[in-house]
Amino acid sequence: MPERTLMGGNIAIAEGAILAGCGAYFGYPITPQNDLLEHMAKRMPEEDRIFLQTESELAAINMVYGAAAAGFRSMTSTSSPGFSLQQEGISYMAGSEIPAVIANIMRAGPGLGNIGGAQGDYMQCTRGGGHGDYYLITLAPSSVQDMLDYTMLAFELADKYRNPVLVMADGFLGQVVESVVIRDRVKKLPEKKWAITGAAGRPKNIINSFEMNPMDHPARIKLILQKFERMKRNEVRYEGLELEDADIVLVAYGSVARSAMTAMQKARLHKIKVGLLRPITVLPFPYQPLSDLAGRGCKFVVAEMSAGQMVEDVRIAVGNRNEIKLVNSWGGVPLTADEIFEAIDLLA
Amino acid sequence: MRKASMDGFEDMVFGKPEVMEDRPTHFCPGCGHGITQRLIGEVLDELGLQERAVCVASIGCTVTAYAYFKIDGLESAHGRAPAVATAIKRCRPELVPFTLQGDGDLASIGTAEIVHAAARGEKITVIFANNATYGMTGGQLAPTTLIGMYSSSTTGGRTVEQAGYPIRMSEMLATLDGPSYITRVSLHNPANVRKARKAIELAFRAQLAGLGLSFVEVLSMCPINWKIEPVKARQWMAENMIPQFPLGEFKCIPEVEALKKGVKG
Amino acid sequence: MSWEITVSGFGGQGVLFIGRLLMESAFHSDKEVSWLPYYSGEKRGGMCTCFVNISDERIGSIFITHPDIAVAMNPAAMKILEPAVKTGGVLVVNESLIKNKTSRRDIKAVYVPTVEASKEVGDESVGNLVALGAVIANSQVVTTTSIIKVLNQILSKDKHQLELNKAALLKGCEYS
Ligand SMILES: Cc1ncc(C[n+]2csc(CCOP(=O)(O)OP(=O)(O)O)c2C)c(N)n1
Ligand code: SF4
Ligand SMILES: [Mg+2]
Repeated sequence: MPERTLMGGNIAIAEGAILAGCGAYFGYPITPQNDLLEHMAKRMPEEDRIFLQTESELAAINMVYGAAAAGFRSMTSTSSPGFSLQQEGISYMAGSEIPAVIANIMRAGPGLGNIGGAQGDYMQCTRGGGHGDYYLITLAPSSVQDMLDYTMLAFELADKYRNPVLVMADGFLGQVVESVVIRDRVKKLPEKKWAITGAAGRPKNIINSFEMNPMDHPARIKLILQKFERMKRNEVRYEGLELEDADIVLVAYGSVARSAMTAMQKARLHKIKVGLLRPITVLPFPYQPLSDLAGRGCKFVVAEMSAGQMVEDVRIAVGNRNEIKLVNSWGGVPLTADEIFEAIDLLA
Repeated sequence: MRKASMDGFEDMVFGKPEVMEDRPTHFCPGCGHGITQRLIGEVLDELGLQERAVCVASIGCTVTAYAYFKIDGLESAHGRAPAVATAIKRCRPELVPFTLQGDGDLASIGTAEIVHAAARGEKITVIFANNATYGMTGGQLAPTTLIGMYSSSTTGGRTVEQAGYPIRMSEMLATLDGPSYITRVSLHNPANVRKARKAIELAFRAQLAGLGLSFVEVLSMCPINWKIEPVKARQWMAENMIPQFPLGEFKCIPEVEALKKGVKG
Repeated sequence: MSWEITVSGFGGQGVLFIGRLLMESAFHSDKEVSWLPYYSGEKRGGMCTCFVNISDERIGSIFITHPDIAVAMNPAAMKILEPAVKTGGVLVVNESLIKNKTSRRDIKAVYVPTVEASKEVGDESVGNLVALGAVIANSQVVTTTSIIKVLNQILSKDKHQLELNKAALLKGCEYS
């Protein structure tokens, strides 16, 4: 059996980043991700890497941009209000094709809201979030192991597409402690010929999101959009549980996917054929598998800790073919297996 | 401007610095930015920094500053250049990043970033082009616009009631312990341009010596938005801006003082 | 086999620590575990709750609504947990602060004067360990030996606290 260790969700993101070769971390305190920042404050210097607590999330994201432009795997972590502030920097990174990882440990909004876990940033995360035409691969962990694994994957995908990647988790997942298997360190980091390393022995490198000649801008954006198309084609990931014979399909991510799993098991005991589709990438969203299930006649229960945001993506996949029921919570309150089971029961 | 390498100019006495690209700038006639960038170019040549310097451009009329140097460069969001330069320097200490920021960029939207980079004593160089206006967006009120001065958003002149007082960034930053060198220079005549060059050289030398943030505020003309002819704009700047923004050093730690011996001219 | 455990009380009553000890000792016997702190700000001073799952299988929900084992450290916790415990489950009640008794006959209720009992072992600050002792004495969720192993690790630097915690744990085991 591989060696397991107990770890908090936020800590697993930090350790995943270190395993993935993250060379620079910048962050600003905000609950419920403070332990991530504090862990990095200790661990990054131990690993002889860069850590800086910044004056704001704005500064943090712009430092992530600077460090990533300098060719370092770099990241920040924050929670919803801080994530809003970072949209500008993320948009600049998408526009100038700079890879980086941002972890958003969501809390309840709008405004200052509440420090309880939430999933109300779904639209912001999966629709670009900042200004302009761009998308970010958005990974949605649902366990502490996922927190570690998806953070490592996020760095890989960021470099693969030269685009920022989000790890989107709710505050409850950030706080939960579970056992994890520590992965091997990434030994060989990709070469970055485009990085800012000093114009020595090569022509200068320029990183920008701007064309001196405005007529050249559409062509630049077209290339970026083609890249997004490739992302959407190649990177859809999801986990399916007991979908083979399911009449009702639960769709849930993050901590809610865990509640959904328990609700599914309970429903199965009640002889209701329920399966679970858990998007791992909420962008790109698994439209096709959901559409296929709809084609088979399945009904859907969408469970999320928001006013009902992911349910819109499920609607896109399912269209008007089948019934979709939303069960949700908001304001920093968890969504429990009981509540999800009730929704299943109503539909069965 | 003439090409430095152009054949048939053997007797040429004034060319482009080696580190500068051979391309026309996009600045308006009489703009100060071109002069400041040229001075930076001269200093980079002088110190042999072509392979190490990094131009961190900001948002304003210097937005494409990286296009004019043969060095690595990048854009940064409005006001955030000090954060970007901070990260580059911390990740790659062998590089020599400098920011080029206007007054809207540095003294308005980017106050937090410059104050904290200065307070941390980041080992970067900041060139702050203060032209008392938002040049790029068409001359609106800037944090440095003088009382009574016209701007396109204070067409009757800036009033204290409406907009408060102009900010003196050099003086403010000089209260911090992090910076090693803070000075204000002006481009209103050739003698002062030479002083500006020296200040910029000293600022880069401070960074090379591993000292805390070095900061050169350059009073700079924006004739088009001031609605003053280029030649008169220099005069106007000397008479109106210098009283509000006095020239001179506001901070120069002994280690920087010691570096002055190396600065020519 | 799987256990869902909820411990709830005021912040400062050592609620999270009870959960942590349960989680860690189960982890060392190769169980799947999850531990989640949960704060609800219904009152000033705040309620502090801790959800612990222990299982042989992959764990579903990290939130627990119907625990197999519940520990109520204060009256507010009692109000929530008493009706929530599963039929056949165990409810440990901090008798020092909670004056009412359950009328449920389908659960096993254990009344523990944690404050007085912990004073008896030398310090009233370890009432949480007394409650934990009662949990162990009334269920097979983990063993005292495994808890003591974890305590030995966590408190290795503070012999006094270690002895105090152990004594409180054993004291709690008397309530079965
Ligand atoms: C977030 C954001 N807000 C506003 C702008 C628009 N903008 C571009 S340049 C500029 C002001 C530039 O003024 P200054 O920094 O003084 O530079 P100058 O052009 O005078 O050299 C503004 C407001 C922007 N690009 N980004
Ligand atoms: S608008 Fe002003 S600052 Fe901008 S290029 Fe023209 S003169 Fe220079
Ligand atoms: Mg300006």
